[in-house]
Amino acid sequence: MSLQYLKTAVGENDTEKLIRYVRLHLGDGNEAAGRKEIDKAWIEALKLMLDVPATDREFIFATLDKQTPATLAHLYFYLHFYFVRRSGAWIHDGTF
Amino acid sequence: MTGLSDETKQLRPGLWETINERYPGSMITKGEFVSLARLGKPVSQTRLTFVSSAGIQPKGTMPFDVVHPVGDFSFRRVPSASRVSNLEIHQIKYPTTGALKDLNVIFPIERLQELTKEGVIGELTPNLFSFIGYQMDPARFERTLAEEIADAVVADGAEAALLCPA
Repeated sequence: MSLQYLKTAVGENDTEKLIRYVRLHLGDGNEAAGRKEIDKAWIEALKLMLDVPATDREFIFATLDKQTPATLAHLYFYLHFYFVRRSGAWIHDGTF
Repeated sequence: MTGLSDETKQLRPGLWETINERYPGSMITKGEFVSLARLGKPVSQTRLTFVSSAGIQPKGTMPFDVVHPVGDFSFRRVPSASRVSNLEIHQIKYPTTGALKDLNVIFPIERLQELTKEGVIGELTPNLFSFIGYQMDPARFERTLAEEIADAVVADGAEAALLCPA
């Protein structure tokens, strides 16, 4: 989808068009695959939390506080691919 | 992009419709074209460059941003004397199985080096160029990345450019 197509969707609050784009992006052009990829990343993140391991919340709050929303959004996309790769069920052909 | 002239017929009939179905709104219409320049001397006397959308880069350089939802509008210079073992691929949008076995199938740097050594090509520019093809903002792509690569190609003294999509 073109950027203008997405910006129009934002202007019209057409969330279906927007999430469809995300699924297409994460699923390498396959919307159904993208939906599964989103689930896969969240499941992997959840699994890492079940034993309530120690985590660096100071880092988390500092990151949320100091970084721009755009950087955090960028990180969010990286985290998606990180958790998908960590799951061992990598559908993409290359690497990031 | 659409607006193909008779001289640039698409290789796969229906390709654009498929892309439009999967990525609605991604196509732009191109009404003006820059004419191809006729090569004024033999290739054996020509300084050639190579521009690829394969996402090839020297190891140790910042990886292409393949996760970005809009694209990465940067390019990498790949020294034309590079050894394949010093290069790597950063992209996730095309099958790399073959390229990981032999990078030359997508970025034929060793073939170009051989052809230069044999005198088929006059010489290579100091650098070859690569970027990733997943770009959702064609206007920005044309305004920034394409112009920057063109400037870099000219600065390298290229007399002809071999363009290769991944």
